[in-house]
Amino acid sequence: MPTATAAKKKTVRINGCVASAQAAKYADVDVIAAYPIRPYTATMMALAQMVANGELDAEYIVADSEHSQLSIAHGASSSGARVFTGSSGVGVQFAYELYSPISGSRMPVQMMIADRTLDPPGDFGSEHTDALSTRDMGWLMGWACDAQEAFDNHLIAYRIGEDKRVLLPQMVCQDGFFVSHITTDVELPDSGQVREFLPPYKHPYPLDPRHPVSHGPQIMPEQGPPLQLERARAMEDSMAVIEEVHKEFGEIFGRHYDPWLEEYKTDDAEVVFFLQGGHGVTARFAIQHMREKGLKVGMVRLRTIRPYPTDRVCEVLSKFKVVGVIETNMALGSPASGGALYADACAALYEAPERPLVISFMAGMGGEAIVLKEFYWMTEKMIQAQKRGKIEKRTHWVGFEE
Amino acid sequence: MATIEVQRQILPILASPNQGARFYNPELPSSEPFVPGHRTCAGCGPSIQYRMTSKAAGDNTILVGPTGCMYVANSSYLCTPYNVPWAHTQIGSAGSFTAGVAAAYEAMIRKGKWKGPYPNIICEAGDGSASDIGLASISGALYRNHDCLIICYDNEQYANTGIQASSRTPYGGMTTFSPPGPEVPEGKKLFPKDLARMMAAGHPHCYVATASVGYPIDLMNKVRKGLNHRGAAYLMVYTPCQKGFVYETPRSIDLARVVVECGLYPIWEWNPEKREFDYSFRPQSIRPVSEYLKLQGRFGHLHAEHIATVQQFANQQWKMIGVELPEALVQAADPRNQVNMAAAAEAEAIAETV
Repeated sequence: MPTATAAKKKTVRINGCVASAQAAKYADVDVIAAYPIRPYTATMMALAQMVANGELDAEYIVADSEHSQLSIAHGASSSGARVFTGSSGVGVQFAYELYSPISGSRMPVQMMIADRTLDPPGDFGSEHTDALSTRDMGWLMGWACDAQEAFDNHLIAYRIGEDKRVLLPQMVCQDGFFVSHITTDVELPDSGQVREFLPPYKHPYPLDPRHPVSHGPQIMPEQGPPLQLERARAMEDSMAVIEEVHKEFGEIFGRHYDPWLEEYKTDDAEVVFFLQGGHGVTARFAIQHMREKGLKVGMVRLRTIRPYPTDRVCEVLSKFKVVGVIETNMALGSPASGGALYADACAALYEAPERPLVISFMAGMGGEAIVLKEFYWMTEKMIQAQKRGKIEKRTHWVGFEE
Repeated sequence: MATIEVQRQILPILASPNQGARFYNPELPSSEPFVPGHRTCAGCGPSIQYRMTSKAAGDNTILVGPTGCMYVANSSYLCTPYNVPWAHTQIGSAGSFTAGVAAAYEAMIRKGKWKGPYPNIICEAGDGSASDIGLASISGALYRNHDCLIICYDNEQYANTGIQASSRTPYGGMTTFSPPGPEVPEGKKLFPKDLARMMAAGHPHCYVATASVGYPIDLMNKVRKGLNHRGAAYLMVYTPCQKGFVYETPRSIDLARVVVECGLYPIWEWNPEKREFDYSFRPQSIRPVSEYLKLQGRFGHLHAEHIATVQQFANQQWKMIGVELPEALVQAADPRNQVNMAAAAEAEAIAETV
């Protein structure tokens, strides 16, 4: 019987959902909590088949809701099991109650998210609002831009989250459809490499009858702040671990990721797109075209958004004249009255000695692809701002303006 | 894949003469997984239940505590009363968190990541969690048949939030969400959800039973039967709440017997092998509901017709478990044979002055 432990390195053609399922298999997860919602469902379908085929020995639980999924994950992780769960869109929100209890009890649950717009109305397309709405709940969070990166991020996130210096849950996100359902070549590692990189999960204080502990008892108000401070510190301290783990990942697997940002053609760039997720792939292509026309445009793609690499974002973005944030999310009534990424970027840039102009572009909304002419249009807006020395307005809804 | 067989515990059933009425039973284990030091009220029914239940289960046990009295009043940070592992979970997560613990132990033992016999996994959910917000999660856990025991400690209200009506609050029960007034003289107008029978009917492969802290050996044996059952089990336990029911504190156990004797809390078991209810449990006496109602301030506002309505409800329960109704109970279901609670109190007050 083929098992993860016997796997040799090979390249397969799979989509992002299946890549995530493969990562869970390589991580030898113990408990999987599933509930269907498009588009992430395909991950759980793949895992169900792996369990049915005997390729993965795990408890596969078909939960009664996303709230139950996350509660199952919480209970299983609290008992010392490595847990995998996931969701999309409104499913992510149905489970909202559990995000703070899971990070607060310091359980390194892993959740795969294939983004989907929130209702209304029902739309299967990708917007990052689902996961981003939970971004301050104490979960490590980052976006992949293709299936290979998604696979790698799952292993990296388990390793970071389960590190005793961190012990935090992780949301490993990918765009619905653009990543989750587009088939590309993915290199699956040798299982020996995974064993070397990701040791078995061992929580320091699980629910074990031989060593009784109480998890999450009621506190008095004055006991709250120190616990919150500890969780905040865990998030801050994870930054060093994140760098360390990415470095080690590169050494073992040969794929070297900057943990925080991907910079694309930024060396001489004057205007850049600042975005996260699958639109980064189209952005690279658009930038190649615009470079041929002599436009000094580049891209900075955020890979990790929690913890937010404030200093790094400040250092990198302050090199440019204009930053165009591509949101792919809704933050209604927020500072830019557009998306959520703008506020974080501006906060990071606040202490920069020379700040670039920042524009928020509402593009890729509803799961629409951002087409080349929209990248050209946004670039034009950035160049105009650069020439004028000021922005025309903070937020542009791309496709709704001349 | 090579897997390790999961070893499961079998707990002995205690001798239970006279339905486990109050007597000294030398077989009772000395272990106390639930120790003093918690902050529950004097005479707290749920915490009496907690002690009996955990004693029946023993030390190789993991407790799951969804939000409720047994979380808020029991557990204090740095000072909890649990001698076995315990975890808080969200009020709606009773069944799902417990399922996660059970699944983790199945997988970890099977994969050789944890060595030892499968622990008793017990969820202690209040009736708010069990009948309202966590109902789906518990149904999910029962349906999937995780090897665990889910207990609903039924104090017939949301007590730790300050006495609010749950779908287990009886007809006529006063709570802060069902207060009586000129327009709504009975207070709670709705009848309670038939929760345990719903669980038995919907999950017939599970061991399901009702119990009362008034019958400790019966309760402890049902805990053990539920734990011994290979798969999911569900137990609904009557646990009076002094604060919400408003009665004299030392009478908790009395009340937990009178409720059964009045037919308001039938004690039964669902046998998953035979797929049938066992309604053979009989209290030592049968009483009219007024004897139960008059002990509690929460019913102090009821009028004659409300008491008769409660008696009609009790009579239906007696019929359900196959008891032929004594004539007195048939009579008691007629409002003309009842007096208002307030009137009775007035009469008593006058009698005392004579």
